[in-house]
Amino acid sequence: MKRTHHHQENGGYSGEASYSMENTTGNGLDLGKAEMMCWEEDNFLEQQQDTGEDELLAVVGYNVKNVDLADVAQKMEQLEMMMNSSVHQEDGFLSDAVHYNPSNMSSWLESMLSEAELTLPPNFDTSCLAAAGLINYNEPFQSSSSIDDNLFIVPPTAESSTTINFPNPINPQIYNTGGDEEEEQQLNPPISDYDLSVIPVNEPIRPVVLIDSSQENGIRLVHTLMACAEAIQQDNPKLAESLVKQISLLAVSQAGAMKKVATYFAEALARRVYGLYPQPSYDSSFSDILQIHFYETCPHLKFAHFTANQAILDSLVDSNRVHIIDFSMKQGIQWPALMQALAMRPNGPPKFRLTGVGPPQPDNTDALQQVGWKLAQFAENLHIEFEYRGFVANSLADLDSAMFDIRPNETVVVNSVFELHQLLAIPGAIEKVLRSIKEMKPKIVTIVEQEANHNGPIFLDRFTEALHYYSTLFDSLEGYGYSLSPLNGQDLIMSEMYFGRQICNVVACEGVDRVERHECLDQWRNRMKSAGFSLSHLGSNTFRQVNSLLSVFDGGSGYKVEENNGCLLLGWHTRPLVASSAWQICDSNIKSEVN
Amino acid sequence: MMKKQRSSSIGSETELSNLNEDMLFEILKHVDAPTLAKASCVNKKWKKTSNDERLWEIICTRHWVNIGCPEAQVRSVVLAFGGFRLLHSLYLRPVLKATAQSQNKSSTIPTKWGKDEVHLSLSLLSIRYYEMMDCNYKGRQK
Repeated sequence: MKRTHHHQENGGYSGEASYSMENTTGNGLDLGKAEMMCWEEDNFLEQQQDTGEDELLAVVGYNVKNVDLADVAQKMEQLEMMMNSSVHQEDGFLSDAVHYNPSNMSSWLESMLSEAELTLPPNFDTSCLAAAGLINYNEPFQSSSSIDDNLFIVPPTAESSTTINFPNPINPQIYNTGGDEEEEQQLNPPISDYDLSVIPVNEPIRPVVLIDSSQENGIRLVHTLMACAEAIQQDNPKLAESLVKQISLLAVSQAGAMKKVATYFAEALARRVYGLYPQPSYDSSFSDILQIHFYETCPHLKFAHFTANQAILDSLVDSNRVHIIDFSMKQGIQWPALMQALAMRPNGPPKFRLTGVGPPQPDNTDALQQVGWKLAQFAENLHIEFEYRGFVANSLADLDSAMFDIRPNETVVVNSVFELHQLLAIPGAIEKVLRSIKEMKPKIVTIVEQEANHNGPIFLDRFTEALHYYSTLFDSLEGYGYSLSPLNGQDLIMSEMYFGRQICNVVACEGVDRVERHECLDQWRNRMKSAGFSLSHLGSNTFRQVNSLLSVFDGGSGYKVEENNGCLLLGWHTRPLVASSAWQICDSNIKSEVN
Repeated sequence: MMKKQRSSSIGSETELSNLNEDMLFEILKHVDAPTLAKASCVNKKWKKTSNDERLWEIICTRHWVNIGCPEAQVRSVVLAFGGFRLLHSLYLRPVLKATAQSQNKSSTIPTKWGKDEVHLSLSLLSIRYYEMMDCNYKGRQK
């Protein structure tokens, strides 16, 4: 824009200063418009020549392609900042280096910048990242009233300074999070990266004024997180590294849920960038402890257990012998409530056989057996005939139906809470397990899973989904956990760690190690259907009971249960978090139970 | 001690506080939960009588709709896991209060207690018992 002035004023080109685009406050928008008109005129003139190179610069001896102009301008600015900052240093980077012929502007700048080992300067204005999403190269210049929905413009305030930057190739998504996590909008679909070389010459570049606001740091943080993920996606480790450092700095300045989420994501990104992949966690006793605290602070597990138990209870109406196979045994906290409900059946409780499956313990204690004893004692209080067996397995895929010793005349129930998604890390595993389940001919299969798609093929998509999901989760911890037990900070911290480990796995791991492969309810529906199961609708009494449960523990803070085609979803405000469903074998020979 | 000081002056109060245990028990059968709770704060004798599980069972079951289960069964379950007094204070009362609030009724406890609330309370009671059981239980004690 300032080029118009140069036409008239000095006609000569005086290095990088003339391309500095600093604009003072207050007249930003107005000036922008006026200058834009001139710019348009310029391009109109240039069209006539159509040599692909900037005419004016060529006159004074610099060859700059039109398509590179924006890039060049930005690099100039960076270079200027670099030079200013290195003024006081003894070893000026200009001293010994050999640089390319400055007449080839782009490559000369490139060499200068890479020589100086450019890292983004501390005051690198991420507004340029925001601006990246705002430039729409397919539209000719229009008045500001028809600006893209993505545009983030705040009226200028007196005390802030503005910088207009040309867009940077990194193209993150725009979030309107600010500090108000609970009303996070849906993410905008990713805008495809633009390649400067395909920009038609006669399209004007619309400058944008971005003013600092009070939520600036939060937005910057999100932008930087996204930019880092994008850099990783594009295999740009150097940029990713510098951005990771940025994130850590920005995260410190945040507070509350945002800070915690950002810290965990920052650590996960750092692990990925530096190749410090966390060891697959065989320390299941620790994760058991974390889960106990998680049980206390969040209703997720309670929701899971209550819905599953109700479905199981409904399916056991006519049974005298039940054999429950639990893939998610852990501390066995799901089963006391079921046993108590069975004890209160009018015709008395059935014979209760429980087979628990769990991972190996690092310290050779038999945790499964201990849980078994505890449940046995509990069952004794209820005068229920109880039988228990524990199976230790590294993966559910190692089991087969013969191991479970299914006896005739017993009603088989299979239960899995937050376990099946781990099988998706190994090809063919989930199919094998579902086949084994079918062979056991269960009356009902209860499945509870996280409601999120953290298993997409593209890293950036997974990252975005995870960021959204875990932000909501941490929000719910803030809102719910504190009101529940304000003095019990330990439970809260443990719950956060519980989620933190998941975040680390989703972001930093790949292949077999990435076990937190959450998928959405619809994906599980399809999978179960193609494996030969049909949905068994969860009844309305289940819905009512869970609502009562939530109202006791929740006290009106954000958790909601909603019904979704026979399944139940637990969500925080508008975002579903956990999905619970029940399945039976779809077989025309077996009369299906009508609920 | 207060009673002894007063016994010479006000006759009617003495009679009430020296009430026969059985008589007290019969009277307390008919009071509501808050009154029963207050009664346990009067003195040791009253506390012993008021904490009787049978009285709290009456409080709990008085307004239960038919929960589809014989009384004896309910009794054995509840007594095994902590008793009716505990059930009421920890779970029945909060559950009902929360349900009433969520349905935008007045915050006083409704007179009819539905199946769902009862079953929920019983489940929570049993979970609590399980959580508080000794984790290192290794062998059958009998």
